[in-house]
Amino acid sequence: MHEWSLAEAILEAIIPIVKHESAGRVSEVEIVYGEMMELELDILRFALEELSKGTPLEGSRFMFREEKASFRCNSCGYKWDFEQAHDTLPEDLGIREGTSGDRESPIHFIPDLAQALMRCPSCGSRDFEVESGRGLRIYKVVLEG
Amino acid sequence: MEDPIFDRAKKKLRKVERITLVASGKGGVGKSILAASLALTSANRGYRTGLLDLDIHGPSIPNIFGFNDELVAGKEGLIPPVVNGLKLMSLGLMVGGNPVPLKGESKRSALSFLLAMTEWGDLDHLVIDMPPGTGDETLFCLRALRNMDNAGAIVITTPSSLSRSVVARLIGLLREEGMRIYGLVENMAYIKCCGETLRPFGSIDDDFLSRYGLRILASLPIDLSIEERIKKGRFSELPGDFRYQMEKLLDELVGVG
Repeated sequence: MHEWSLAEAILEAIIPIVKHESAGRVSEVEIVYGEMMELELDILRFALEELSKGTPLEGSRFMFREEKASFRCNSCGYKWDFEQAHDTLPEDLGIREGTSGDRESPIHFIPDLAQALMRCPSCGSRDFEVESGRGLRIYKVVLEG
Repeated sequence: MEDPIFDRAKKKLRKVERITLVASGKGGVGKSILAASLALTSANRGYRTGLLDLDIHGPSIPNIFGFNDELVAGKEGLIPPVVNGLKLMSLGLMVGGNPVPLKGESKRSALSFLLAMTEWGDLDHLVIDMPPGTGDETLFCLRALRNMDNAGAIVITTPSSLSRSVVARLIGLLREEGMRIYGLVENMAYIKCCGETLRPFGSIDDDFLSRYGLRILASLPIDLSIEERIKKGRFSELPGDFRYQMEKLLDELVGVG
């Protein structure tokens, strides 16, 4: 559910640009997000549409592009993806959603904790690199007027 | 374009009335105990207070308060549990007993999300338990708080010459990055024994203080009962001398404005 918070963050980052460029509205926004964020895009899109009402982003087209996560072990050189990484995460750690009571993985809220909670699937080392798939960035904003 | 998560983290910090960093040049000088005691004293005085544990590799705030319940999330993100009247947040609440070997960009990104995703609500005072030294976390925090006049640092050290020499490097960094330093807290300064007051690590001399333009805000004793209190889950019952010094320290901070 923290998608609402992310939506606010995205809008708060774009609105000053619209003002700075003296544009009337935003027609298109492209967001690149890391696979490690485990985003629920339907909720994020809905939150963006709701929160942008009455702002220059109302009616804007929101597009999303996922950057796949990849990892490389510094000890044995093994490379792996997020699906494989997921299998190594401990199942006893979770954060409870206040509204639904469901348990979410901590990495849903802090994606980089994946790096703290997993190991190289090949040799078990915790010393590895996240080569891609973290964070969220606003890749493109198309202004009008 | 600014990273929207980091941008949100900064906005959340800007909304807090007063932010106090508790920083040290090296580990083992009592930084987390000071941060926890100061936050507790602030909450007891009626300020809406948060305590943020930024020590990624050794998060100890949950242990100090004996809190190990499951963390709960709301619509906006993580809800800090309220313990002894203050709101706590720490990566330790999310990783259990696992080591946290984050580095470089992963560390900065994790801190950014932690700050951006925590729902503090309205806070009068946020005490930040900093990691020791001048690494990624300290630089991240200084960047997040740059140009915010609601923030300042307390530097904690023991009177030992080794601790002082390390803390001088931290003071240098804080100054260079424009962070206000309220002053020094001298920890493990004395111990009361057999009717005498002993200073096993010596004293911080006036030369050191005048060289850095700082003063001692509080001198804290070695008090073995604090460890006992933590073990029994009664940290909030601060011992007399300690509590008096915390009240005085809080007065100093409030007085700075």
